Amino acid sequence: MKQLFDRLQALFGVTDFERKRDDLAFLKVPKDHAEMLIRHLRDHEGFSHLVFFSAVDYIEDDIFRLIYMLHNYGTRDTLGVHVDIARENAGMTSIHTLWAQAALYQRELKEMFGIDFPGSPGVDEDFMLEGWDEIPPMRREFDTRAYAEKTFFPREGREKSDPRTHMRKQFYPNWGEGE
Amino acid sequence: MPLKDVIAPFYVWKRAFEKPYTTAKPIEERPGAASYRGFHTNDMALCVGCGTCETICQNEAIDMVPVPGIETTAKDSGLRPMVDNGRCCWCALCVDICTTGSLRLTNEYIWVSTDSDGFRFIPGTGDNPWDDKALGYRRDPGYRLMDYERQDMAMLTPEESARSFLEVVKGYSAEQARKEAERCVDCGICIATCPAHMDIPEYIKAVRDGDFETGLRLLYRTNPMPATCGRICTHRCEEVCSVGHMGDPVAIRWLKRYICDQVPESDYADILRDQSTSNGRKVAIIGAGPGGLSAAYYLTRLGYAVTLYESQEKGGGMLRYGVPSYRLPYDQLDKDIDYILSLGATIHYNTRVGRELRFPELMADFDAIFFSVGLSDPYGLGVEGEDHPRVLSGLKVLEDVTHDRDPDVGRRVAVIGGGNVAMDAARVSRRLGAEVTVLYRRRIEDMPADPEEIHEAQAEQVKFVTQAIPVRVEEGPSPRQVNIRWGEAEMVADEKGGRPRPVLMEDRIHTETYDSIISAIGQGGDYEFLSDEYADRVEMKRGKVIANEYRQTTIPKLFVGGDIANNTADAISAIADGHQAAVGIDHFLSSGS
Ligand SMILES: Cc1cc2nc3c(=O)[nH]c(=O)nc-3n(C[C@H](O)[C@H](O)[C@H](O)COP(=O)(O)OP(=O)(O)OC[C@H]3O[C@@H](n4cnc5c(N)ncnc54)[C@H](O)[C@@H]3O)c2cc1C
Ligand code: SF4
Repeated sequence: MKQLFDRLQALFGVTDFERKRDDLAFLKVPKDHAEMLIRHLRDHEGFSHLVFFSAVDYIEDDIFRLIYMLHNYGTRDTLGVHVDIARENAGMTSIHTLWAQAALYQRELKEMFGIDFPGSPGVDEDFMLEGWDEIPPMRREFDTRAYAEKTFFPREGREKSDPRTHMRKQFYPNWGEGE
Repeated sequence: MPLKDVIAPFYVWKRAFEKPYTTAKPIEERPGAASYRGFHTNDMALCVGCGTCETICQNEAIDMVPVPGIETTAKDSGLRPMVDNGRCCWCALCVDICTTGSLRLTNEYIWVSTDSDGFRFIPGTGDNPWDDKALGYRRDPGYRLMDYERQDMAMLTPEESARSFLEVVKGYSAEQARKEAERCVDCGICIATCPAHMDIPEYIKAVRDGDFETGLRLLYRTNPMPATCGRICTHRCEEVCSVGHMGDPVAIRWLKRYICDQVPESDYADILRDQSTSNGRKVAIIGAGPGGLSAAYYLTRLGYAVTLYESQEKGGGMLRYGVPSYRLPYDQLDKDIDYILSLGATIHYNTRVGRELRFPELMADFDAIFFSVGLSDPYGLGVEGEDHPRVLSGLKVLEDVTHDRDPDVGRRVAVIGGGNVAMDAARVSRRLGAEVTVLYRRRIEDMPADPEEIHEAQAEQVKFVTQAIPVRVEEGPSPRQVNIRWGEAEMVADEKGGRPRPVLMEDRIHTETYDSIISAIGQGGDYEFLSDEYADRVEMKRGKVIANEYRQTTIPKLFVGGDIANNTADAISAIADGHQAAVGIDHFLSSGS
């Protein structure tokens, strides 16, 4: 895969080659070259299968990292393509023209992260979250706990203890009282 | 209607007799992948009930609950996680953060039931068939949500420290303190072990937030000598820290010190705003060591007029006259003491109860009395010749150094003992230019001294001879020298299951010449000040005064604390006693019981 990387480096300016296993590696490509690179991988390097397409929110760096997982059935190699995009007005070229099923992933990314893929069929339709009126839930500024608290009321009679009060009750119930 | 549409239903019917493509549930099972995230299981013996899983779960799927048969111990809250699978999303954050590695997810994922309450269960009880399943999601050994390594503490090099009385430990930088504070998982298990039950996670949070004013206020709620304890506390809290199961325990003691180091003494009054209104009652305190000072602080806050009697010329007790200044600089001890006394207690120095003043007079003049007079009588070596003028007491050597007097230890010194006093006497003698050997009856790991003290002494070139029992002290070759005969000991297992005992090997006796022998094998209490009238009425057991949980003795208006009463004999226990006695005295005087 190192040879592949060297070839791609010359053509597309890919960086950060990282080999995880003999048959699994990752690399990074600037946003503007990404669609071209992926098309090239599909058409000329045998990576004909889109395994999945996902994203991670690196809120500290103000980016989303897109991960395109591609597989080559001939060599049985899997290659992850990382593409960093700005969090603000996040958007990316659609690849539904390369793989029709990418539209579904893109619809999910739109719903979960708010990343837009203009032209992708059905990208604005609900994916899983029917009637969702919060910010996209996979964005890290989404407060999952607060949402869970307000949405999923506790079961009746639910009780919990916490270590400090429980241990106090057992070991020093009358400590420092009277102040 | 096209023909295809007409026959379609029949076409479908035909399929009904074929083997289905879907799997019939719950009749046939399809096992989850080897690292699938299914239902939880928990190694109940490994789990310590820290509740970190509960804290991290974003779905509030976990409740910590008591479980029959699981006991609360110093390191174990006795609680265990109960998971509501109606809320769980199997993200496995709880597994990733688990401080012991006890919690994991099995690859079991199928469960059909009409009872929705059944989906709430305590993993690991053995009630669920998957509890023992080996497959499923485990945290990758290389993957950590927590930082396992403690921030390094800057210290003087052993070469520098062996030559000076400068403080050895330099303290954390702001960046280090914040990083160290971030390692706390906020479980609170340490609070029970701290004798003063300090709110450790809260003050660590204050460090994390950089809010030292809140931090200082939290410290003073349970401990009015935090600058001191931040340096020399026995930090038993760190022994039970949950983070310590897989990494280094959080440096709780250094974080406490860090808060105090950030706040100048002149700001204390404004931040702590300790105010009280006089309640017209008077309490006498005998001894201004940590026990007496702590009682003085909490009693003044409760509105009592407090009078302290201290036989030395300054306060602090063994923290000043025992603990050397390279571990606890005097200005730090004074910072704590000055603030306590600034609240209005009266203190009479150079006033020994039983000498300048009689105990019965105090009993007559005050509404209640608290005494924390410490242990000041060094035990003798208990061997022939121990009265030799070159046999010095460790306490005396340390006290001389505090008073700036030369203890005259000479160039070659043997220290007998393995506790803190022995380590301090040895390291002080090093600083005075001596070559030092510590003789101890048992093994290094049996030494009661703090392991850090032992390591630092070793780094300063103090020599350790273990399993060495003194047999006799003899005249040395010159009047300024002394000989010690000591024998090697073998460790013999105790039949009753106690710790192994050293037994002298009569044929392995050595004689060694020193300029002085420093005896540091422990000290006992001096009860003479109580006077004949009261001495018999105060109940004692094995040399310690007996008291109830409010530190009240068998004489109702007399309360006690510190080394003379507790079995832990450290500063924080004395401070805790002083606090609890203040509460006890307040109860006693307001309710009369
Ligand atoms: C060398 C040494 C090293 C130690 N190192 C540590 C350590 O690293 N960490 C730790 O936590 N603990 C340490 N300790 C233990 C700690 O110092 C004590 O546990 C603590 O000081 C006990 O407090 P106290 O209030 O009981 O008594 P003390 O500190 O002993 O104070 C008693 C005070 O009462 C005064 N007094 C006694 N009798 C009378 C009287 N009749 N009238 C008036 N005043 C009287 C004394 O002068 C003294 O000031 C060390 C002790 C020694 C000796
Ligand atoms: S797996 Fe995730 S959602 Fe489920 S209990 Fe653990 S932390 Fe909560």
